[in-house]
Amino acid sequence: MWARAGAGVLPGFFLAAALVGLLGWLLPGPWESTMVAGLAAFLPLWIGVICAAFRFSSGRRAWLWLGGLALFALGLLWLLQMSGWVR
Amino acid sequence: MKLQPATLRTFTTLHSWMGLVAGFALFVAFYAGAITVFHQPLQQWATPHTAAIGSLDDAQRLLDDVLARHPEAREHVGMTFPGYELAQPTAYWQDRHGTWLFATPDNLGGSPTPPGASLPELINQLHYTLGIPVAGTWLMGVVSLLYGIALVSGFVIHLPRLAKDLFALRPGRNLKRFWQDAHNVVGVLSLPFHIVFAVTGALLCLMFVLMLALNPLVYEGKLMAASAAAMDTAPIMQKADVARPLSPLASWHARSIEVARDQGIADFVPGYLKLAHAGDAHAVVEITGTAPRGLGGGAVALDATSGTVLATQLPGARDANHATLAAVYALHFGDYGNVAVQWLYFLLGLGGAFLFYSGNLLWIESRRKRRQPEQGRSSIIMARATVGICIGVCVAVSAVFVAAQLLPWLGGNAGAGERWVCFGSWALCAIWASWRAPLHAAQELLWLAALVTALIPLAHGLATGWWFWRSAAAGHGALFAIDIGALALATGFGALARATARRGRTGGANSVWADQRR
Repeated sequence: MWARAGAGVLPGFFLAAALVGLLGWLLPGPWESTMVAGLAAFLPLWIGVICAAFRFSSGRRAWLWLGGLALFALGLLWLLQMSGWVR
Repeated sequence: MKLQPATLRTFTTLHSWMGLVAGFALFVAFYAGAITVFHQPLQQWATPHTAAIGSLDDAQRLLDDVLARHPEAREHVGMTFPGYELAQPTAYWQDRHGTWLFATPDNLGGSPTPPGASLPELINQLHYTLGIPVAGTWLMGVVSLLYGIALVSGFVIHLPRLAKDLFALRPGRNLKRFWQDAHNVVGVLSLPFHIVFAVTGALLCLMFVLMLALNPLVYEGKLMAASAAAMDTAPIMQKADVARPLSPLASWHARSIEVARDQGIADFVPGYLKLAHAGDAHAVVEITGTAPRGLGGGAVALDATSGTVLATQLPGARDANHATLAAVYALHFGDYGNVAVQWLYFLLGLGGAFLFYSGNLLWIESRRKRRQPEQGRSSIIMARATVGICIGVCVAVSAVFVAAQLLPWLGGNAGAGERWVCFGSWALCAIWASWRAPLHAAQELLWLAALVTALIPLAHGLATGWWFWRSAAAGHGALFAIDIGALALATGFGALARATARRGRTGGANSVWADQRR
């Protein structure tokens, strides 16, 4: 239980952040125009990820999946930002 | 919908843990928050009601005097229009050390204490910080997050029976079933309200921390620089370093209403202004007002020397950032629509408090040892804490209301005294509950809450002469409603005390709530 909660809270935080970032930067228009909506969407998204983490069969799997997804999503966001494909 | 038994078990555990950790803080937040919905009438109730609403000329004189006396205010100054929060206008600015100073027509020198009665602000602080300075806001932000998790998990465990049990309320021998039904029906029917509060409450408390955390992660470190444009209306202007006088305040007031009307908002009421670079050619004024038919008010930014419109963010014509922000604020504070919306928020707020209270009762009931009079330690501790903290805060809040009337009447300092009364009476209730048997403590504190709450209209009448029948006859609906509301609440506390006594006598034996002497 604790391991899965930890997975939702820690890697889940970065996953939710990356999803908010991807959505905000990929939508048409500059990222600034969705920043408040992004901040507002972040908290329910994080809560959702924390709750979803309890559906994994073990803490190990939760950490691996959420950690992996967070790394992938953040990496993708940073790649898009650095290459200048999104703004 | 079918759920696996393991998932159901996990989410049940999660739900009880969230309730255990966050339930008490949420009870306080909802009880105090329900009252805070009426902070404006409360301000009127707690200050002498004879003060006439000031005029725009009063506001102009205040602004001129403050700008002449305080050079810091020329950089940035804010001012409420007469009749917005208080009858008189209030100007506020930061001095050299960053301390906020407040000036009114009666106090042009400025003081660090905001004018007006301290009662509404104390109840508001109880609502969003539990009265804990600085860290209280972050604590309540985290509590709001846990509340969100409790909502999701509670919804999931109730999902299989959601439709079937929605309108089931089964009183009878099985008390747990009855509390469970009541908890579920209030939870499900007010779920949209609770989702709104979990999200907006957490956001309002954690906005700044969240911005600091997300800035380097997803916004390339540019979030702070972009936030002014996303959240304010007036553009940021550099000083021109050319002196130019301000145009009259009344002309800004009239212009903002005119601009709003041109955009289809017929009922825009200017509330407060923010003025930057007063005396400079690039002086900018931003006028924020309310528009009851829109979700959240709006703002008009003007050149403060010529009255030229620089920017607007009004309902129906806002960008996404301002629309989101306005929605977050309006949905949380319930200041859209008319007084019916506020009463709805008040009732839903009390309903929320009931949700957390009944959650605790359920926790105790499901751990009850039915075959022996002695109950588990955890059940007794939970019962004591529920009585001491939840009923205690009801006593404390009512005591503050009484103190807000009686302290100034007796020549005391309301601001400091109210805090002592609030936290002192709350602590005494908690000590009482930790010492008496839960059943007796619950009964006694409920009677105490009924008594202190019934004293509210009495104290108001004694201190100000505005007995509720006089308020009603003079057409002061808000004053009348607060006094009568207190009497209704006192009756409610009395009914709960009687119900508790009845449960002790005739309810199932072998419980923390059973009378051991019968």
